[in-house]
Amino acid sequence: MTRLRHLARIAALASGVITAASAGDIRIIANASVTADTISRDDLQRIFLRTMVSLRDGTPVVPVLQSSGSAHETVLRELLGKSDASLVTYYRTLVFTGRGFIPKTLDSNEAVAAFVAKTKGAIGYVSADTKTPGVKTLEVK
Amino acid sequence: MNLRFQAAALAGAALVLPAALRAQFNFPIEGREVQIHSFISQGFAYSDENNYLTMKTSQGSFAMTDAGVSVSMRITDNFHAGAQVYDRCLGKLGDFHPSLDWAFGDYQFKRWLGVRAGKVKTVLGLYNDSQDVESLHTWAILPQSTYPLDLRASTIAHTGADVYGTFAVKNHGDISYTGYVGSRSEDKFDGYEYGVTSLGLYYKSESGRYAGGDLRWNNLVPGLLIGSSFLSGPASGAGNFVSPYSPILPVQTKLTYQLAAYYVEYRFRGLTIDGEYRREVLNGAELLTGASIPYLLDQRGWYASASYRISRLLEVGTYHSRFYPLWDQNHGDPEHHIFDQTVTARLNLTRHWDLKIEGHFIDGYGLLYSLRGFYPQDNPHGLKPRTNLLVVRTGWTF
Repeated sequence: MTRLRHLARIAALASGVITAASAGDIRIIANASVTADTISRDDLQRIFLRTMVSLRDGTPVVPVLQSSGSAHETVLRELLGKSDASLVTYYRTLVFTGRGFIPKTLDSNEAVAAFVAKTKGAIGYVSADTKTPGVKTLEVK
Repeated sequence: MNLRFQAAALAGAALVLPAALRAQFNFPIEGREVQIHSFISQGFAYSDENNYLTMKTSQGSFAMTDAGVSVSMRITDNFHAGAQVYDRCLGKLGDFHPSLDWAFGDYQFKRWLGVRAGKVKTVLGLYNDSQDVESLHTWAILPQSTYPLDLRASTIAHTGADVYGTFAVKNHGDISYTGYVGSRSEDKFDGYEYGVTSLGLYYKSESGRYAGGDLRWNNLVPGLLIGSSFLSGPASGAGNFVSPYSPILPVQTKLTYQLAAYYVEYRFRGLTIDGEYRREVLNGAELLTGASIPYLLDQRGWYASASYRISRLLEVGTYHSRFYPLWDQNHGDPEHHIFDQTVTARLNLTRHWDLKIEGHFIDGYGLLYSLRGFYPQDNPHGLKPRTNLLVVRTGWTF
C-alpha cells in the first residue's frame, strides 16, 4: 500500500498536479459555504499566509491552522516552505505592523474539522484519516 | 533615583511584566474578530571603550527596555482597523514616553488594490516597519548602517495614506507594491534632537509632506525576495546656534531628503541570507546670519547577514554592516566610517520567550553629526577608534 501511494505521488508530481492526499497524507477541508471544489496550491499558500482574504469567487475565507502535529509539519514543509518559527515570525510581523491577524490555531485534527464545519468560509487542513463530518474536501491543483 | 536602582527596577519590571502583559486576547465583538498582542524586551550592554547608543555601556548598562501593545479589529471582511502604543528607554533616548506607533484603517478592495489611512508604519527596506519588535529578528541590535536606533523616528511611520496591492506572477511568486504620502512622525526623545543639541543647535525641524514607495518580488524562485524602496521629502527646519564663543545665531535649513534602498533575502530551510544597501542624500542650503551656504550630504550604508537555525532552541548568525557618513571623502579615517562585525546566538526558550547573546566589533565612530551611536557628550574624554560591545537581550511576545 505504501509503495502504491509512493508511486501515485511520483505520478502526480510528474503530471504537475499535486493532490491533497499526495501532500503527505493530509486533506484540505472547507466549510460547506465555500463554493469551489478545487484550489490552486499558490492560492492555498496565500490564504494561509493571509495575503489573500477572499477566494477568486469573492467568498471571504477564514484560515485555520494547527499548532503542531504531522499535518501541520506537512503543511509547513510542502505548502508554505517555512519552519514553524519562521511562520510565527511572519504572523507576528503582520500583527505588529497592523497589516493583518494571526489565524485561528487549534490543537488537533478533530478541533480543526469541528471549527471548519461551523465557520462560514473556513479552510483548514487535517490528517487524511480524520473523520470530518459536515465539511467538504478541496482538491489541490 | 540612582542609576543602579533604576537599572535593577527596569530589569525587575522586565521579568515581572510579561506575566502581566500575557495579553494575547482573541475575542469577537458582535461577531467581529479582535486581537490584542504585546511584546517587551530588556537588554544589557557592556563595551570596552566608547559609550554607545547614549548608554553608559563602558560601565555596563541596563538602559535598554522597550514594549508595545497592539489591538486590531476586523470590522468587515475587507476592512480592519487597529492601533499600537510603543514605549522605549534606550540610554537617554525614548525616556519612557509612550507614543502612538501606528493607528489606521485598512480597506482591501481587491488583492491588487488596498488603501490604508491614518498613522501608518512606513514600508522601507526589509525591516523598517518591524524593527522595534525584538522577537522578529535574529539580532539583538539590527545593523545600524540601515536601521539606526537613534534615528528611528525619521522613517518609522507617516501620517497619511498608503496604496498597496499584490499581483501573482505565474509560477514565480508575487509582486507587491506600496505607495504613500504623508507627514513624517516627530519624536523629541529621538537621537536627532539629542545629537544636534550637543552641537549647540537648538533646532526645530519642520514636518513636511513626504512620499515614497516600495516594490518587492517575493518567491521569484522559492525562498527569494528582492525589492527596492525610495522616500523623498523636505528636511528643513529653523532654530538657533548657541555657543559660549559667539552671540546666539539664527539658523535655517532648506533641505531635501532622499533615500533609496535595495534589498535581497533568501531563505532555505533553517538558513537565511539577506542584505540591504541604502543611500541617503540631504541637499539644499543652510542659512546662517543671512548667508546661504550650499549643503550636500551623501551617506551610504549596507549590510550582509547570514543566520542558521540549528534546532528549535538555537539559532546562530553573523552580519557585517558598513556606514559611510561622507561618501565622497576618504573612508579610512574613523570619523568617516562605522563598520560593525557582529556574531549572535539566539535561544528560543519557549514559543514566547527568547534570549540573545551578541558580540559587536565596531571600527570607527562617524562624524559628530552622523547621529549613529557615538556622541561627544557621552564620551567626554574623546572617542576611541574601536569599540567591542557585548549585548544580552531577552524578549517576550504574546
